[in-house]
Amino acid sequence: MDRITIKGTSDGLIVYLGAGAWSRLMEELEAHLSQKASFFKGGRVALHVGPRRLTTPQLESVGELLIRHNVSLWAIESDSPSTQSAAAELGLEVSLSPRQVTDWTARILPQGNSLVIQRTLRSGQVINHPGHVVIIGDVNPGAEIRAGGSVVVWGRLRGMVHAGLGEEGIKAVVCALQFSPTQLRISSLIARSPAEDDSRDNLPEMASVQNNQIVAEAWQK
Amino acid sequence: MAATVITITSGKGGVGKTTTTANLSVALAAQGKKVVAIDADIGLRNLDVVLGLENRIVYDLVDVVEGVCRLRQAMIKDKRVNELYLIPAAQSRDKTAVTPQDMIELTDQLRDEFDFILIDSPAGIEQGFKNAIAPADRVLIVTTPEMSAVRDADRIIGLIESEEKGPGDLIINRLRIDMVRRGDMLGTDDVIDVLAINLIGIVPDDEAIIVSTNRGRPVTLENHSQAGQAFKNIARRVMGENVPFIKLEEDDTFFKRLSRKLGIRN
Ligand SMILES: Nc1ncnc2c1ncn2[C@@H]1O[C@H](COP(=O)(O)OP(=O)(O)O)[C@@H](O)[C@H]1O
Ligand SMILES: [Mg+2]
Repeated sequence: MDRITIKGTSDGLIVYLGAGAWSRLMEELEAHLSQKASFFKGGRVALHVGPRRLTTPQLESVGELLIRHNVSLWAIESDSPSTQSAAAELGLEVSLSPRQVTDWTARILPQGNSLVIQRTLRSGQVINHPGHVVIIGDVNPGAEIRAGGSVVVWGRLRGMVHAGLGEEGIKAVVCALQFSPTQLRISSLIARSPAEDDSRDNLPEMASVQNNQIVAEAWQK
Repeated sequence: MAATVITITSGKGGVGKTTTTANLSVALAAQGKKVVAIDADIGLRNLDVVLGLENRIVYDLVDVVEGVCRLRQAMIKDKRVNELYLIPAAQSRDKTAVTPQDMIELTDQLRDEFDFILIDSPAGIEQGFKNAIAPADRVLIVTTPEMSAVRDADRIIGLIESEEKGPGDLIINRLRIDMVRRGDMLGTDDVIDVLAINLIGIVPDDEAIIVSTNRGRPVTLENHSQAGQAFKNIARRVMGENVPFIKLEEDDTFFKRLSRKLGIRN
């Protein structure tokens, strides 16, 4: 059986890598790329690697291999948390997120370089990304997100978020399905004056900058 | 026989790792399992004290790793239950005397002969924690119902996930229902709400623990303490039995009561 399967989708090509030694798989991938050069050319590829644990240098070298054949790598799908974090480090999407989430996210976030993370961020975990950050999961107390653009949390936001560190600045927004960050900053502004009223605690909210201060309001999807 | 290696860890110190390791070891042995308990808290050994085996220590974990003695010579048999052995930590060395690889090799030598190998982890996220976690097949995370302990547990769970040792199972120790009812302590639901991992036991705050620790007789050896019963239930859950939790009444969650909002002016 072939250890490499390739599928075309509206999102680009998906390459499934099966079991076997990594170096052999890379040789086989290289062979596919040269044999079907016209098929691949100029396209973008999402790599499915199953439970395989891959390091940042390994992902870098597969990215380089693809680039040599005029193909760009944009996402890694893996069940392995260490592969996911290696991919996230390289700014690759770590998952082909559920269609609905992508659609909603696309409405909030302008085009650009977003990092999608499909797990809960736990205390002590820090995400630094120059573009937008999308979390499909919770952001726990003690976790930290620093984003050049906006931050969307498809879960509970209870950690610290600093959005708009990049060019987007005060145009950045922060939204979450449950909104109670420990600290929230957009560009150089800090959200202040915790309201006593917590009646909206369990409702989706979006924070944005209005008249030079951070305002949170109901997030209507 | 292929042993299951279970590491008991927490992040924060003083939340009950050693108490849990001692009591689960005794409870599993009382169920007829062959058990080794390893104290990986080098420099701060105290599993031996809690188990009441301190006066029988000749060799320790570091002696085994350095080849000063054979593994068997460092294993102290607990005579109160059938097959329970302790490998004590060294008192006068530091955590760098042992490596994660040493721990893997040592437990591999024991796997064929035992059902369970329990490892008592030191606090923190440094080398001692890495040593304790390296050979683990399963991890039990102990926390008390306090914000700072839960925060540290969350941190540890993140590290365990990145080591691909699964998220682990949670033990909530020193719960006081009266305080939870008054709104002065996090409840079980509040803790699970943050950590979102499987709960394997709730141990009440119980004076019997302190008395038993002083006497070197783990509470699971007695029949009447609440904490002892809780540890026996955890042991049975570890063995795969489905033991129901005693459902404790809790109303609003602590976060609802306490949470403060950011970002709204006027
Ligand atoms: N359920 C409990 N009820 C009362 N006291 C407890 C309980 N669990 C632990 N303790 C006490 O808390 C202290 C710290 O426990 P220990 O097991 O040594 O923690 P760790 O190993 O995590 O540092 C000890 O004095 C112990 O007797
Ligand atoms: Mg201890």
